[in-house]
Amino acid sequence: MRMQDFSRDRLTSVSPDLSVDIAGVRFPNPVMPASGAYEVDEIHDNFFSPSELGAVINKTIFLHPRPGNPPPRIWETPCGMLNAIGIPSDGAEVFIRDKLPALRRLGPPVVVSIAGETMEEWIELAERIEATGMADLLELNLSCPNLSEGIPWSTEEKTLERVVSAVVSRVKLPVIAKLSPVVTDIADMARTAERAGAAALSMINTYKGMAIDIKKKRPALGNITGGLSGPAIRPLAVWAVYSAHEVVKIPIIGMGGIDGPAAAIEFLLAGASAVAVGMYNFIDPFTMKRTIEGIRTYLAEEGYSSVREIIGLAHVK
Amino acid sequence: MAVPVYRKATLVSRKESPRGYVHLVIREEQIARTAGPGQFVMVRGWHTGDPILPRPFDIVLADPLKGVFRLCIKVEGKGTRLLSTLKKGSSLYVTGPLGKSITEFDSAGTALLVRGAGAAAVVFLAETLSKLKKPVYTVLSASTKSRLVCRALLEEFSNDVFIATDDGTEGYHGNGTDILDQLIREGKVDTVYTCGSHRFARHVKALDLAGKVKGYLFLEGNMGCGMGDCHGCAVKKDGQDGYFLVCMDGPVFRSRSVVVEP
Repeated sequence: MRMQDFSRDRLTSVSPDLSVDIAGVRFPNPVMPASGAYEVDEIHDNFFSPSELGAVINKTIFLHPRPGNPPPRIWETPCGMLNAIGIPSDGAEVFIRDKLPALRRLGPPVVVSIAGETMEEWIELAERIEATGMADLLELNLSCPNLSEGIPWSTEEKTLERVVSAVVSRVKLPVIAKLSPVVTDIADMARTAERAGAAALSMINTYKGMAIDIKKKRPALGNITGGLSGPAIRPLAVWAVYSAHEVVKIPIIGMGGIDGPAAAIEFLLAGASAVAVGMYNFIDPFTMKRTIEGIRTYLAEEGYSSVREIIGLAHVK
Repeated sequence: MAVPVYRKATLVSRKESPRGYVHLVIREEQIARTAGPGQFVMVRGWHTGDPILPRPFDIVLADPLKGVFRLCIKVEGKGTRLLSTLKKGSSLYVTGPLGKSITEFDSAGTALLVRGAGAAAVVFLAETLSKLKKPVYTVLSASTKSRLVCRALLEEFSNDVFIATDDGTEGYHGNGTDILDQLIREGKVDTVYTCGSHRFARHVKALDLAGKVKGYLFLEGNMGCGMGDCHGCAVKKDGQDGYFLVCMDGPVFRSRSVVVEP
């Protein structure tokens, strides 16, 4: 323990406070699933209760039902995987009727992840979700690399500004912009999203990549390209969060290859106020629970009374 | 439905048979107690980043009294090679039992049409049917005699096992579907489960569509999680839009409900 940590309040705190504030919404702890990487159902409830999470989130929904991409949809890579799922979705109606109430009943704040194929869809979907009264935050998935529409919602500054400000002007719910790392400088995009009225950022979505099946001598994925996730991209994601934290004031939800508490803490120190676990839920369904407990242990061992004390601490002033 | 667990388990024994296929007996009591025919487990025997994802394997047999279950793994890639070299007493991480268990056993006679590693998928079903005194006829196919998989187990649980090899080194020199067609003509079977060959799957689906049998396919897919999170293991629905997930909706499907790859 470092000398400066022997202050009185740090010594007296027994269990560190894990709660964080994301755009005015209190998360009881900073760990949540990444959209599309964790289902809320009986299987997962048997591992640990999703009510223990910092927040819950759905797999991105579109206004209308979508089948998703043809298989193969995933491909293992060193320390990661490519996916080209294509966001299969039941559409807004079924989601609002069947899935959203189940998320709401769990207890933690509900983040609803949405995406539109047109500007009108973004707005209509955002308004419909807000009207349910069951969401605490809206996450705009501006960055899925697998959509055939190919609209670069978060890779082109003017488009990003237009869609975020359009949604923000129509709903009262705080809006999280989920950004793509496939840009020249993600800090610029973070600043643009903040200027457009985003209340928080999710960083980062997957990197576009591909693999070749050498037996079939064809692209490994049905969609040809996919999004790379997993520990392989973690240093890139930590850098993205660090660089955005330098230039924005809004909170950042950090993600990219988090496999446990150490990786999560890296993101917090880089400037994330919360973290999301994606691919590692597939490998170890207890990853998020381990991460929550590990962060608590780290804070206690390092002498911090609140997780908020370490957010952005790595920044060299 | 048995609710799956994620546990650290122990490798009790490992045996190669035939060459290129490894039988692993794993101790994990909850999975051994609750698994049913058709179900699978996700297995990880490494802490590395490459391979990183767990691998899906059908449960060959489960012994609730001894608290163990058996897998039969075809050694062909990084993950299966690592699993095939684990020593007795090693730890593995297993999630299971996953997928839907087969629960209908009302057929008058069941044929199991299997090839290669696909044979491992139907052993549990054969055992269940034999315990219920339901007639089971297995058509076990391979390219050659030395590639016949799970033969002894299938012989134990089947009324008859018919061997078919492509090169004629044992049994019928030709296509296993010929033997299946003969069994159907003789009125011995009204239900067919198949695994391990697209050709077999297409044949069974055609029989199913013609109303000659109830046909079922054991399917596989690129599976990242085995429990509906990753949406990787999609299989196209037949007659309607969209995809099933092999892990959640299967792995056993009525043949007429899915599109079989060419």
